[in-house]
Amino acid sequence: MKVENVVCPFCGCLCDDVIVYVEDGAIKGVEKACSIGRSLFLKHREDLSLPSIDGRETSIDEAINEAVNILRDKKHVLIYGLSSTSIEAQRKALELADLIGASIDQTTSICHGPTSLAIHQTGIPTCTLGEVKNRADVVVFWGSNPLEAHQRHYERYSLIPKGMFVTEGRRGRKLVVVDVRPTPSSRAADIFIQVRPGEDYEVLNALRYMLKGGKLDGEVGGVKVETLKSLLDIMLSAKYGVIFIGMGLTMTRGKYHNVEAALSLAIELNSHTRWSVVAMRGHYNVSGAGMVLLWQTGFPMAVNFSLGYPRYSPGEYSAVDLLRRKEVDAVLVIASDPVANFPREAVRNLLSLPIIAIDPKRSLTTMVAKVVIPTAKVGIETEGTAYRMDGVPIRVKKILNSIYPSDEEVLDRIIAKIKGEERNA
Amino acid sequence: MPNDSLIIKGGIVYDPLNGVKGSIKDIYVKDGKIVEDLSEEAAEVIDVTGMIVAPANVDIHSHIAGPKVNSARLMRPEDHLRDPLRRKNGLRSGCGFSVPTTFVTAYRYLLLGYGTVMDPAVPPLKARHALEELEDTPVLDKGIYILMGNNNILYYLLKKGDKKSAKLFAAWLLKSAGGYAIKVVNPGGTESFKWGKIFNSLSDDTIWGIKPKVVVDILNEVACEFKLPHPVHLHTYNIGIPGSYKAALDTINAFKDNRLHLAHLQYFCYGGDSWATFRSESVKVVEALSNYENITADMGQVIFVDTTTMTADTPWEFTLHKLAGGRWSNSDVELETGSGIVPYRYRMDNLVNSVQWAVGLEIALLLGPWRVFLTTDHPNGGPFYFYPEVIKWLTSADARKEMIEKIHPKAKKRIYLHNIDREFSLYEMITMLSAAPAKALGLKEKGHLGAGADADIAIYKPKGSVAETLSRVEYLIKDGRVVVRHGEIVDASYIGRIIRVDTGVDDSALSNEVRELFDKFYSVTFSNYKVEDVYFKREVVKRVV
Amino acid sequence: MREFCLITGRTIKQGITLHDGKTTEVYRNEVGIVYLNGEDMEELGIIEGSSVLLKTDYGQVVVRAVKGDLPKGMAFMPYGPWANMLTSANTHGTGMPDLKGIKLYIYPACEEVWDWKRVLEEVKSVEG
Repeated sequence: MKVENVVCPFCGCLCDDVIVYVEDGAIKGVEKACSIGRSLFLKHREDLSLPSIDGRETSIDEAINEAVNILRDKKHVLIYGLSSTSIEAQRKALELADLIGASIDQTTSICHGPTSLAIHQTGIPTCTLGEVKNRADVVVFWGSNPLEAHQRHYERYSLIPKGMFVTEGRRGRKLVVVDVRPTPSSRAADIFIQVRPGEDYEVLNALRYMLKGGKLDGEVGGVKVETLKSLLDIMLSAKYGVIFIGMGLTMTRGKYHNVEAALSLAIELNSHTRWSVVAMRGHYNVSGAGMVLLWQTGFPMAVNFSLGYPRYSPGEYSAVDLLRRKEVDAVLVIASDPVANFPREAVRNLLSLPIIAIDPKRSLTTMVAKVVIPTAKVGIETEGTAYRMDGVPIRVKKILNSIYPSDEEVLDRIIAKIKGEERNA
Repeated sequence: MPNDSLIIKGGIVYDPLNGVKGSIKDIYVKDGKIVEDLSEEAAEVIDVTGMIVAPANVDIHSHIAGPKVNSARLMRPEDHLRDPLRRKNGLRSGCGFSVPTTFVTAYRYLLLGYGTVMDPAVPPLKARHALEELEDTPVLDKGIYILMGNNNILYYLLKKGDKKSAKLFAAWLLKSAGGYAIKVVNPGGTESFKWGKIFNSLSDDTIWGIKPKVVVDILNEVACEFKLPHPVHLHTYNIGIPGSYKAALDTINAFKDNRLHLAHLQYFCYGGDSWATFRSESVKVVEALSNYENITADMGQVIFVDTTTMTADTPWEFTLHKLAGGRWSNSDVELETGSGIVPYRYRMDNLVNSVQWAVGLEIALLLGPWRVFLTTDHPNGGPFYFYPEVIKWLTSADARKEMIEKIHPKAKKRIYLHNIDREFSLYEMITMLSAAPAKALGLKEKGHLGAGADADIAIYKPKGSVAETLSRVEYLIKDGRVVVRHGEIVDASYIGRIIRVDTGVDDSALSNEVRELFDKFYSVTFSNYKVEDVYFKREVVKRVV
Repeated sequence: MREFCLITGRTIKQGITLHDGKTTEVYRNEVGIVYLNGEDMEELGIIEGSSVLLKTDYGQVVVRAVKGDLPKGMAFMPYGPWANMLTSANTHGTGMPDLKGIKLYIYPACEEVWDWKRVLEEVKSVEG
């Protein structure tokens, strides 16, 4: 059976034109997806997790009961992950956090969290990816390597496609890549600007300074001022420009200050011509996790409910900080792998705590978790909403059955048991 | 469902659509509807002797959900920190102030006696987002208006002169996005801002070479031919600037033969030719409107408070950003629209803001409760839960006088408000909050207490003044369920309905050309564009064909 | 001792092998890896594909060294458990730890590239 217009649940591109061939209840072929997307679909049944308690295989029901016991007993639970599951499950995770007075954080805190912090300061002029395709004649990727992290981004949205007003496609666009190292993405660029690591802030503010008429000589952040001047000229000559910002800005020294500089530059450019900024979001629904947190609590991450209302404090209620300071006594991980993704010191403290891991796949986190609850893979075995990196919500599909419940169902059953309303599976 | 039958006994009933003006009578409720009669044995009897019984309120224009509201939440953590709400009695926690969380939005509306709220500006590409937020806005019935005034496909078809395809496309779009009404915001203006231009006109050529009036005309035809319950909901051009009243007059003159709703009319009633000469011209706009019963409006009242402005009028938000300084967000949505957000504080010591405050009250008092409905264009003029303040000003000339003493001293010479003696009665206030907006929305089951109506009933304990009385319900019955009892929410566990329109225009009615435009210029495939049924868990579909 | 600048990031192979599983050999081969500038490798006497011991102020790990298109003085590792042995958990009050631009020291090693179990042993071994 050929299934068309399948949505790929891997990265923030959320490509929705994938073709999947299903035979005998299994995926036999994938077309149009990138190599990572193909791997995701074709290997989605490899290395699956199993329901277990303390490493012993058990039933889903037993695993859920044990999870409920832990969540009931502990004083300060951290709920973490969320970026690779559906809105429906994320909503339940928030309800649970509110119910048990937990801290809740999502993977954005180690991804584009600093971008949110910068938006608090400046706001953000942004646009959807179709707007990039239709209008953008200059695109700048700053600290981002789409050809490896968002492989079809150039092809579908930002560089190659012929749009309504950029009718020539690639020839109608100028591509600028700014990074600390050459990458496949920079090799495709018309202009590659190599910045010294940790000096993006200086370079961005040099551009702002020159935009306001300031004069500079020599170099800034390892880049010749003449190069920056010509970049600024290109920016000013754009009809519609877009800066895509990546981890190169959020994870380095300066963090949200770097993003704030990029946003300020874009805002100031709007007094001359149109510029937007789009964050290159990693996981396919990390954007959605932020959305749900915002509409239910007002804040995009790092929320604590221990006083009965949402309190926001990145650096305090963010997962890495809570773990580093040993402030939680249990961790519920939903569709994420903090044991693999957190810095060593945070992982060490995480390993000393009871972990409940809800995940279709085996991961380092499921390997060390006290309780493992396998679930159906969103976008293959269960449907749901996901938000693309530009905030466009798309329905991801169910194309196969799973013997396991969805993340949403598992969380719903946990909530019901904690509230004392038994619900049947 | 608890208590599918209710008798609301002994209350003083106000039901303007049925001409009931403060009579003592019982209201019978069965299976979520109001019925003629009911035997007492089978029903829960709620004794409301001495209390005011009225239809639940209806908000015709309030930005409560969706992409730009959420972007505003992201932009303003400090706004939430000042107004946290604890979880209690099974209610969810959250934050309030100018961009409240979804649950808090619902709870505050319910305590004000509301049963239905319409979000007036949703880009079809992001309709799922608005609908998901509305699912987390429990109990209330909700609908969304679909932004069409800057739609590129519509412009393309109109430029070709293919009016038939344009109309079918608009009707298809309304259905596909799950909308209740057509929304138009600064037609041509939002599109022009994508080109870095500020454009404000009905009669000049847009960047597409067609005039905005042509776009609105065609959408009016869609509303008329498809018998949409609510007419085109129009936010016209030149919002908020000195001389904006001319845009209002131009708009009224252009569309006087149609049914039409003018959104947040207050912002379009300013005279003067600069900020220094800014003044009220509400009288001129009211005069122009007085002959056209077919045109309704809502206030867009300004409150002196720190709030967040948000609109699809992107050139206006950019202008405001330049005027006010500080943070600015903008989001351009492919082929459809855009939105802008700027935090803003209305200040009593500011002359312009003082005039704005007076203008909203002037148009309401001069045109009356059947023509102009209470809104603050939440949160643009201020948060909706400041409505009791507005009710105080509408029902008490003394309260207005007191305010006029407090506002900017030069304002008095620029406004008419001090010359208006009218004070709305309780009956008129209930009309303005429930019967009149329900009628303008074409919601036949809402806004009245006759047999067959939805059992959405607000019950108030009389207090010292009309405003105090209406500031919090003693009971709220929603679909026959007791949601508020003794002034506290007791049941907010169900999700409320989505009210939408089915124009009957399916994919097959779209021309190949439109399908090709989709494939070429959208970033999602056609089959993943339309909102799936799963987003309407409880719904009322108005089939209009 | 020469100081390097450690940058972490995504690679296609990391994304592909992630779906084979994080405890698999193919994943270790693609993620338990550091890319270095060719001249730097010569200077340090590191042979393509051999093991190296990496150390930062925050930890250590043994991975495979491979030549990459990088400026001199820079080391690149794919996101994953190996890189995170070297990153700092200090978020400076932002929630975001230092995941790029970390001072790194490189030593030739004869040990095999650590597998995930050895990585977790190392995590636990450090006093906190």
